[in-house]
Amino acid sequence: MTLFALIFSIALGIGSLAWGYDQVGLLQFTRWIILFGAVWLFAVWQRWRWFAYMGLVFNFLAAAFGLWFLNFTPGWMFAGAIGGLMAWDLTFFRHRLRFAASDEERRAVETRHLVRISLLAILGFGFASVAMILKLQFNFEWALLSAIVAALGITQIVSWFRRRS
Amino acid sequence: MSRTWFLGSLILFLLLAGLVALRGTLVALAIPLLLYLLYGLWFGPNDVRLEVQRDLSAERVAPQTPVKVRVTITNRGDDLEELALEDVIDPVLTVQDGSNHHLISLSKNKGFVFEYTMSGPRGGFPLETVHVEAGDHLGVLRTIQDVRTFGQLFVFPTVARLKQVPIRPRRTRVYAGTIPARVGGTGIEFFGVREYQDGDSPRHINWRVSARSAENLYANEFQQERVADVGIVLDGRERSNLFIGRHSLFEHSVLAAASLADTFLARGDRVGLLVYSRYLQWTWPGYGKLQRERILHALSRAMPGVSQIFDGLQYLPTRMFPPESQIVLVSPLVEDDYSTLIQLRARGYQVLVVSPDPVTFEEDHLPRRTAEYSNSEIRLAARVIRMERSLMLKRIQRAGIQVMDWNVAQPFDQAARRAFARQIQAGSRL
Repeated sequence: MTLFALIFSIALGIGSLAWGYDQVGLLQFTRWIILFGAVWLFAVWQRWRWFAYMGLVFNFLAAAFGLWFLNFTPGWMFAGAIGGLMAWDLTFFRHRLRFAASDEERRAVETRHLVRISLLAILGFGFASVAMILKLQFNFEWALLSAIVAALGITQIVSWFRRRS
Repeated sequence: MSRTWFLGSLILFLLLAGLVALRGTLVALAIPLLLYLLYGLWFGPNDVRLEVQRDLSAERVAPQTPVKVRVTITNRGDDLEELALEDVIDPVLTVQDGSNHHLISLSKNKGFVFEYTMSGPRGGFPLETVHVEAGDHLGVLRTIQDVRTFGQLFVFPTVARLKQVPIRPRRTRVYAGTIPARVGGTGIEFFGVREYQDGDSPRHINWRVSARSAENLYANEFQQERVADVGIVLDGRERSNLFIGRHSLFEHSVLAAASLADTFLARGDRVGLLVYSRYLQWTWPGYGKLQRERILHALSRAMPGVSQIFDGLQYLPTRMFPPESQIVLVSPLVEDDYSTLIQLRARGYQVLVVSPDPVTFEEDHLPRRTAEYSNSEIRLAARVIRMERSLMLKRIQRAGIQVMDWNVAQPFDQAARRAFARQIQAGSRL
């Protein structure tokens, strides 16, 4: 489950940034972002945890660059940054999971962690959505992405509540 | 750099960038990071105080015997959202059932108990640390501790029971035992005839000899049986002990030393042990069950090693053995050990050499065919080396040293019974 969430986070972060840059026609930048995403996925496969630091810095710098100099749509940049943060977090969480003795123990810890991460993602996306609405840029693509993230996050939270009860 | 500092630096950069560019969106970009960091700081543990107790089902076991370990952790500090635990064990020990590491949440004043079963090869294993990593769920603040506990596991070498080991040192101790002392007195073995004295049992009167004398009676005298000093020397030099993959001839030597020590102590002898390895590990001579424990502890920790000083047996500290006592050397032997053994004999020690056969051991563990040599070439080489070894053992025997050449494919007790029975039958004078 953690691996799926990690890959999803990388895809979400890199995809959002690439989409944001692509929207304004910076294709060269888009290609580099996608290439970086591919390298990050390779690093996940190779378990190079140090690469997650680079990934987080890259995502935030790319988002800041877009917001500062190019005046991009804030939603996609926020989504890119949040994706990077989640991927960074999950990389190290995946490493900590080596202590789990059984699948049951692993699932319990995974659920608790993913709930918190989901809450963070939902909060972040809510915040970005407000920014998009304020800028009158809340379009179909953004709504779709927000819906996917919300659905995944709420699923985690609901399953956690069900386990607790 | 810790995760907290890293996140803090990134937040600071974004805030400064936002202020420089006068863009609220850049400042807003720092909010997810700030939320993440605040969560970690809020829920991170301030006070990590854990009590650990470890119980073992047995502290002294035979090799590969399962030992059940029960670890109880009690949290005396703050609530711990994420607690990673690892009961640190030696890498050579294998966990057979359960797990020695866990990832849990532990509330204040709550306990957590886990069990696992482990086993391992011969050795002494301290169990002194439980590694603990406590933190919030996001892992922002992490406290790493090694909680000290007291515990140890001794995996003793297997002890084979030997019925008898025929040693006959020149000097014995005063206590009654089983070794013929070359002194007349009470015993079983006939020693001589002397004039009858007051207090002698009439049953001991030798009537045949007395009949030849008109005046005196003569009585049989028996050889006294006493305990002796036995010094066991275990050869742990790496150059004499072969290692083929995970198999080592040293393990067989340890088994032989343990069995011999057990046999000597069981019949009342005073036994000391010297492990001649990278350094000298000496267990002072003693009697009884306590000494058995000491020797088994020493043997469980014995490891082969390399040392320039103790490369040859010439530095064997003979002064540590009482004069004219019995020395038992457990060694595969190398060519230049011959002169040391002769010197020991010349100083009046009775020497018994138990020699695990390295040639057969190596031949048994070699791959059937290697890239360089064919089977017939390997067989021929083994034959030549075996002849050399056999010649050396014969020379040692001719010097009055008792030798047991042991093919380690055979159990030690069986091989010893056969070898020593032959020596007893042959009436070898020691």
